[in-house]
Amino acid sequence: MALVETQDLVKKYELGGETVRAVDGVSLSIERGEYVAIMGASGSGKSTFMNMIGCLDIPTSGIVRIDGIATSDRDSDALAELRNQKIGFVFQQFNLLARTTALDNVAVPLIYAGLGTEARRDKAKAKLEEMGLGDRLDHSPAKLSGGQQQRVAIARALVTDPVILLADEPTGALDSKTSEDIMQIFESLNEQGITIIVVTHEAEIAGHAKRRIEFRDGKVIEDVVVNNRQKVSS
Amino acid sequence: MIGNIRQQASGWLVNVAIAMTALRTNLMRSILTTLGVMIGVFAVTLAVAVGSGAQVSVMQSINALGSNMALIFPQPDTGEGGRRSFDRGRLTMRDARAIQKQISGIDDIAPQLRSNIQLIVAGRNASTNAVGTTPGYGKVSNLVAENGRFISEADVRSAARVVVLGPTVARKLFGDFDPVGETIRINRAPFTVIGITESKGSSFGNDNDDIALMPISTMRQRFSGDSLAGPDDLQLLFVGFQDGISLPDAKREMTKLLRERYRVRGKDINPFTIRTTEEFMKESAQVTGIFQIVLVAIASISLLVGGIGIMNIMLVSVTERTREIGLRMALGAKRSDIRNQFLVEAAVLCVIGGAMGLILAIAGGTALTVYADFPVPIGVGVGVGAIIFSAFIGLLFGGYPAVRASRLSPIEALRTE
Ligand SMILES: Nc1ncnc2c1ncn2[C@@H]1O[C@H](COP(=O)(O)OP(=O)(O)OP(=O)(O)O)[C@@H](O)[C@H]1O
Ligand SMILES: [Mg+2]
Repeated sequence: MALVETQDLVKKYELGGETVRAVDGVSLSIERGEYVAIMGASGSGKSTFMNMIGCLDIPTSGIVRIDGIATSDRDSDALAELRNQKIGFVFQQFNLLARTTALDNVAVPLIYAGLGTEARRDKAKAKLEEMGLGDRLDHSPAKLSGGQQQRVAIARALVTDPVILLADEPTGALDSKTSEDIMQIFESLNEQGITIIVVTHEAEIAGHAKRRIEFRDGKVIEDVVVNNRQKVSS
Repeated sequence: MIGNIRQQASGWLVNVAIAMTALRTNLMRSILTTLGVMIGVFAVTLAVAVGSGAQVSVMQSINALGSNMALIFPQPDTGEGGRRSFDRGRLTMRDARAIQKQISGIDDIAPQLRSNIQLIVAGRNASTNAVGTTPGYGKVSNLVAENGRFISEADVRSAARVVVLGPTVARKLFGDFDPVGETIRINRAPFTVIGITESKGSSFGNDNDDIALMPISTMRQRFSGDSLAGPDDLQLLFVGFQDGISLPDAKREMTKLLRERYRVRGKDINPFTIRTTEEFMKESAQVTGIFQIVLVAIASISLLVGGIGIMNIMLVSVTERTREIGLRMALGAKRSDIRNQFLVEAAVLCVIGGAMGLILAIAGGTALTVYADFPVPIGVGVGVGAIIFSAFIGLLFGGYPAVRASRLSPIEALRTE
């Protein structure tokens, strides 16, 4: 069973009497352990697609299945739980809470998982240490570099041990050196078995992925397995 | 189960922590919003306290009268309607004796005549309300002579020219000098001061100590003889009952007795009126209750304004933090989590404001008690009530913004700048 599956997925926006088909009939399936790069021109529907498989947005029509569960059957509470338990998000703008320490930022998903104070601290601390930020626990985002902030965000995405990591242009706000660090982290996470779907404009970033999906005008125009990595999925 | 409860408790604590951070971030705004609630809670708490203070002081002045007592006036009791067969009210010394003899459970009675008198001694003078009565008065109205003695049966029999002064009158005439045994002139006749009553304080600006007591027979002869219709008439009769006696029953019996004595039939109006302290208490409780409701209703308007301030600021807060709401939803917050977060924030604001308002009210109440001699009791109940009520205001007025926040679509919220 595919981990992420879409069938004829459509998202339409009505803008001043005009209909924009942001995602226009996408059927895809992504298996456990894959590392997928989604590419395409600006406005081609990448983010819209990501938001729907991340259960943040509701499709106009079509089906999204996460781990076999059709999201349209679920109420908002069940979707919240699904996001909390199975999906980790990494955003272009990091989206960390200001005036909140790195540790508390990372602990936020655990609040909604219903963990107690100590368990939250312990897990958040462990994840930050994994990201090499063990000495920055009490720093607020304003006192961290962009790369460090994005690593805090990755720790937050991973703290509930999700199976999928969704990253929409995670390096869009970072310089190329820092971007490379982030890509290293993604690669090793993927080696640990986490499914990664990353939206990017940059070929270099996409080069780390094992599969590349190209969007144009809301449709998939190319879906290829990349061979220039050591390990190639069949 | 226990783990679950602990988890929930920690969830609420998290919300309080989030709220505190948010409130600290906009410190000035939070303080100003809190001010509105503070003023509202201050006004309502003080209104409640002033209302119950009024109740307390009414009860105190009724109790000062004597606790278990009936008052009989020679006034037609017009309360019930019906035919009026008497031109004026009736109540005589003979009625008083009949009541004392035939009604059970009586402690003592105090028949009274009242008149304004002038007292003069060594160039000083005072005018006061004099009560002509019998030794029973002391017992019925809990009044004892602190110095000297009270009126005796012998004084009444001989219509002796003796007077017992209230502390205020004594001070006016004699200053700090002990007047017992001194002679004073009342309306030109010499009287001997035989005692000073103990102080009864004042109720509603009415000085209970501005009084003079003399034998009823003396009063009748010298001061009010010609103002009365009959030689045996009374102006007022106090009937004190023993503890545990039912006043409504006693009132019924006395009414029956007096109706027989005056041959009042059927629905005809009685030529006398009987009121009990119990009735006074009930009536004044009603009046002060209405007073309190009006007061609290007026004060509530300021609390309403404070509550609207809360709602306003919470709507601003939700709008400003839309992106945060979207993020929290992406990270797994359910609608109820978001709703609770903002509810707690509103409640925290209100409870802080409420606590400050309560402190102000306690200060104001104490000032009123000390400087205006008006009891303003703010008990633990009122305090706890004020705090709980503030939290309730927070939930009420924070409810709409909180629900609105919880209904946001995650992606829309996340996309706001
Ligand atoms: N909320 C919205 N209302 C109206 N139209 C929208 C909305 N969100 C997206 N669109 C439109 O849908 C199309 C796809 O947008 P989307 O954000 O998915 O593109 P994208 O591929 O992520 O672009 P970019 O690379 O610039 O991020 C665009 O034409 C966009 O204008
Ligand atoms: Mg995009």
